[in-house]
Amino acid sequence: MSHPLVMGRRESLILGIGGLFALSAGKANAQGEINLTFWSVRLNTPELQAALKPILRQFEAEHPGIKITNEPVSGNLVYPKFMAAVQGQKMPDIAEAFSYHPLQFAALGQMEPMDDIIEEWKANGLLADIFNEFAYKKFYWKGHYWGVPYNLDPRAIYYRKDLLAAKGIAPPNNWDDFQKAVIATHDPKNGVYGVVFPAGNFFTTQHIYMGFMFQAGGSILDKDNNLVFGTKAKDANVRALVYLTDFVTKHKVTPEGIASYDAPDVETVFVQGRAAFGMGRAALIGQLMSQNPDMVDNVGVLETLQGPEAKLTAGFYNPMFVWKYSPHVDAAKTFVRWFVNPTRMDPIYRAVPGQHWPIFKSAVNSPRVQQNRLLREMLQNVVPYTTDFAYPGTGIPQMGAIDGEKMFAAPVNEVVVGKKTPEQAVLDAQASMAKLFQS
Amino acid sequence: MLHAQRARFAYYLILPALLLITCLNLVPIVEAIVVSLQSQNMIRPDPEAFVGVQHYIQALAPDGDFRSSLALTLIWTAGSVAGGYLLGLGLALLLNLAMRARGVFRALLLIPWVIPDVAVAMVWKWLYADQFGVFNFLLLKFGLVSRPVQWLADPWMAMASVIFVQIWKLYPVMFIVLLAALQNVAKELHEAAMIDGANAWQRFVNVTFPVIRPTSLVITLLASIWTFQAFDIVYLLTGGGPAGATQILPTLIYQKAFWASQIGYASALGILLMVCLLVISVFYLLAYRHQASAQGAT
Repeated sequence: MSHPLVMGRRESLILGIGGLFALSAGKANAQGEINLTFWSVRLNTPELQAALKPILRQFEAEHPGIKITNEPVSGNLVYPKFMAAVQGQKMPDIAEAFSYHPLQFAALGQMEPMDDIIEEWKANGLLADIFNEFAYKKFYWKGHYWGVPYNLDPRAIYYRKDLLAAKGIAPPNNWDDFQKAVIATHDPKNGVYGVVFPAGNFFTTQHIYMGFMFQAGGSILDKDNNLVFGTKAKDANVRALVYLTDFVTKHKVTPEGIASYDAPDVETVFVQGRAAFGMGRAALIGQLMSQNPDMVDNVGVLETLQGPEAKLTAGFYNPMFVWKYSPHVDAAKTFVRWFVNPTRMDPIYRAVPGQHWPIFKSAVNSPRVQQNRLLREMLQNVVPYTTDFAYPGTGIPQMGAIDGEKMFAAPVNEVVVGKKTPEQAVLDAQASMAKLFQS
Repeated sequence: MLHAQRARFAYYLILPALLLITCLNLVPIVEAIVVSLQSQNMIRPDPEAFVGVQHYIQALAPDGDFRSSLALTLIWTAGSVAGGYLLGLGLALLLNLAMRARGVFRALLLIPWVIPDVAVAMVWKWLYADQFGVFNFLLLKFGLVSRPVQWLADPWMAMASVIFVQIWKLYPVMFIVLLAALQNVAKELHEAAMIDGANAWQRFVNVTFPVIRPTSLVITLLASIWTFQAFDIVYLLTGGGPAGATQILPTLIYQKAFWASQIGYASALGILLMVCLLVISVFYLLAYRHQASAQGAT
């Protein structure tokens, strides 16, 4: 018989296993504290993580009893990680990720509707303060909002003021003038290309094409979410493709290797002062400020071009969403409500200028924006004209796969390398997209 | 009787490990086969809907992804293995000669093998860059070209460029194995051939190569298996582009599974890739057995 105060090996083992169960079984601890897991896909760099942590601690201080555990997720691993989580039913309570994740997870029956938050925003005026109604309509599918927007990731055209001034050219604001300006500023003898943009088989390539597509009156979906990329919208989409790729194949005013360019390649060429115009991500502003500050005064953010049919450009309103089977759905929504606020994310915007953008119009008046000319130009010249790639539809789960498989980057890349004609490239992309709707 | 008991005891000892290894290998394969027959993707509320062999038919159709990607994978594998073998063999022959600092050179040549693939891809991407790349800088500086070479932007050049990186990554293992094999070539045979008037090429073809042939076969088959399923270098250098010119099977499967959300279809492609690898593995096993029996005979 063992002494009552001395544990044998068996008791120790049982106690140990019991302890492990206690640690892993639930997310609420003995004091009734709620632990929420928050996966962040777009806030995963060291700078952004450093900016995020004090915000999360502030939330915890204001909401005793709720703890947030943030896990950064690599953008490249986002699908494997989420899919494993769905399979294992270990989804995070809250996540922020790419555009169409909420709809894809909603299709799998994993998402908590966010209609109540949208209704609240409608009542308190926040919804009206959002730059573009597609920012939240893109998450509307089968009668519910499956996510809410929390940040914006716009695409823009940058230009060199000094190079345009030297040629006596005013910053262009329509297709014809832009084409003329690019051709006029192309100066290979001095190592300056007219324009640089991503034309490889990458996400940013299709984002750039998308802007021209909308300007030509084209789209991927119609307003009823039907696929029209290579049918009703074919002529407009081909027109946009011809306009964009002509810079490479006809006018030859781009770097020769553009068919392999992703956004970072474009940013390197532009920031090094090797192009008069550069198309790409808003993150270029931060790179310019840190890597070539002497050039900042000579760079401007071009006003969104007026195309043959519209004045629109691509911008991605990224979502936050809540797992339907979270044991603490209400607490998770409390965090989302608190986090998506016009002033809350200022430290994140400051951490990497240009990488994250507010979704609210009132942010234009913030001191941070008013003190930085490039940010101000972006918020005045580009952000109000941004729309998402389901435009004029609201969004469907298939859009995640269309974007993920880069189905409309392929036409740009194929035309640039001379593999297909613009019309054939658009028709082939339509055929690939159509398979998603059939399967 | 005692021998049988001891043998049985030995089987009992290895049984747990055998079961574990079998499970670790078989369970994912069986799971992949099951998923390949289902319509699993992230845009469908019924992910386990049985679709039979539909994904295999889709993949093997004349306009399907598999055929074109398989052709590219074969070019990638054959080019990489042939290049790696020839470079490894050349260096092994060179460093098999008596020379100063031979050990240092042997150690230095192994460096590419120990560098992680991701780091290799990043470095080579920079070397290949059209505007700021080292290769184009040197070629332009010495007047060897008048315009930057499109290493990764031209469809034909892109495949050659990724193959070259894989050769660089692969040759050290070829080199070290072939060097070991070359040290089994008896000096007396070379001396006898020289006395008979054989030149260097004749000595290589008739004396050296017959000795290293079994090793060459095994290492090229192994390298073929590694390269056929290699993913990192192509994905990080070209992402399968431009215009699908380097879309080998592993990158295609990754794209379909994790970006296009077509898990069922990607699993079918994965099973087809496994069948291709099995064919190479059968050749490898036959070669290995042949070599083992040849060694047993000597």
